[in-house]
Amino acid sequence: MTQTIRVDQLLRETVQGPYCDLVTRSTGRAVRTSIQQRLSARPGSLALIDFSDVGLVDFSCADEVVAKLLLEPGTGTTIVLQGLREEQLEAIEHVLEHHDLVALVHDPASGVARMVGRVSPDLRTAFFTLQQSSPSTVEMLAQRIGWAVERAESALLSLVRLRLALSGEEGFVVPLAPEPLS
Amino acid sequence: MSRVVEIPASFDDKSFEQFAASFSAGPITDRMVFDARPAQWASPYGLVGMLTAGQAIKEAGGPRPDFTVPAADDVRRYWSRTGFFAHAAELFDLRGKLPRIKPDEQSDVLLDVTPVRASEDVHAVVGKIQAGAARILTHELGIDAKATMGFAMALSEACQNIVEHAGTGGWVAVHAYTFRKRLGRRVVVIAVSDGGVGFRRSLEATQARRFGDRWGDAAALEAAVIQNTSRFRDPGRGQGIAGIKRYLGRWSGKLAIRSGTARIAIVPDWDDDPPMTEHLAPFPGAQLQIVIPAQEKSAG
Repeated sequence: MTQTIRVDQLLRETVQGPYCDLVTRSTGRAVRTSIQQRLSARPGSLALIDFSDVGLVDFSCADEVVAKLLLEPGTGTTIVLQGLREEQLEAIEHVLEHHDLVALVHDPASGVARMVGRVSPDLRTAFFTLQQSSPSTVEMLAQRIGWAVERAESALLSLVRLRLALSGEEGFVVPLAPEPLS
Repeated sequence: MSRVVEIPASFDDKSFEQFAASFSAGPITDRMVFDARPAQWASPYGLVGMLTAGQAIKEAGGPRPDFTVPAADDVRRYWSRTGFFAHAAELFDLRGKLPRIKPDEQSDVLLDVTPVRASEDVHAVVGKIQAGAARILTHELGIDAKATMGFAMALSEACQNIVEHAGTGGWVAVHAYTFRKRLGRRVVVIAVSDGGVGFRRSLEATQARRFGDRWGDAAALEAAVIQNTSRFRDPGRGQGIAGIKRYLGRWSGKLAIRSGTARIAIVPDWDDDPPMTEHLAPFPGAQLQIVIPAQEKSAG
């Protein structure tokens, strides 16, 4: 199940005043807490955190909202950030790199999710390949890339641990993967 | 008898040292008179610095100081337009005639002298600055419109230092003017000042041991500005100043922070400020200045 959480709505509930900017640590903490409450109330496989209609995102708030959301164990829900403008994404990338984290960001041009932050080449390759052929088992992915099974398994398990991919009965999938051609 | 604190005729970050020396020449509980009669001009750094001095006296329980306003009418008018006197009246007994000024939206004052005490104040400052900043940065400084967001981010992070670390309130002001002496170009200047605990006391518990005998105002500034450390053990802290430096690096901007008796500067090519200055006259809290210059037009 997928839920969309609109950050601008949470911001309005959090800040007393007509402000649309995601600034200050205390605001960030309050918004993150609201996001976590929504994730706990409606646990699902995928949450789209929507930044549309949010103004400025400063570094402190990006750290409190995005980095800490990804750092905390949470509900196991895979998180995709969407509706981000270039300069907002820049602040988020800065804090992700600071913490050695990776986040999934919806790319409006292609419609799929892409990884932002510090990503090893193996994880990037595994993610990209999985995006082309979801769902895939460890063996299918290993064969497609030409890797040993152990290497493919390690990469896939890391993607799941980092909440960048989901593991299901039919194999591993990445969020917002394009529908396979029939 | 009152001790006179001299306000420099041209009051910027350089002449601030003259002001700080005059302010700290005796105990903070002295009866003081701030003499601004010779003042011809003040940068936002000077304006928020004077308010910080007044705030520090008030918080130390000193007698309410007098403040003689500038003799020059145009200077009084400019200072009024910046909102300085409105706030100064809460801290000083103002001596002299003050003009009544209507707000001027097209002025070079991007942000009036504004108190910063809590997170809501930072929201208000950031909300207020964006339209004016876009106009000045794009049309006067030749900076990409997208950079307005980065400018507001830098401002937000600078103000948050007060909320997060000062332990008291502070002030912010943003003006645009032509920086004749050192640059010969238009600049936008963000000045933030508080009368709080300062960098040394803020970082002492977590950083002093690491620096050993070197620990002091300069080492604290080095820890915060160069090493991006914070008094919080949270590994996500310290990114605010790092973010400011990143933004300024892109636009040849300058960052200078003074705290206690030391001053650190991240110096671009166009300036010759020393990276670290020690043994200055003591001054309460911390003072931060960000300067973003008009971009040089590329040849051809």
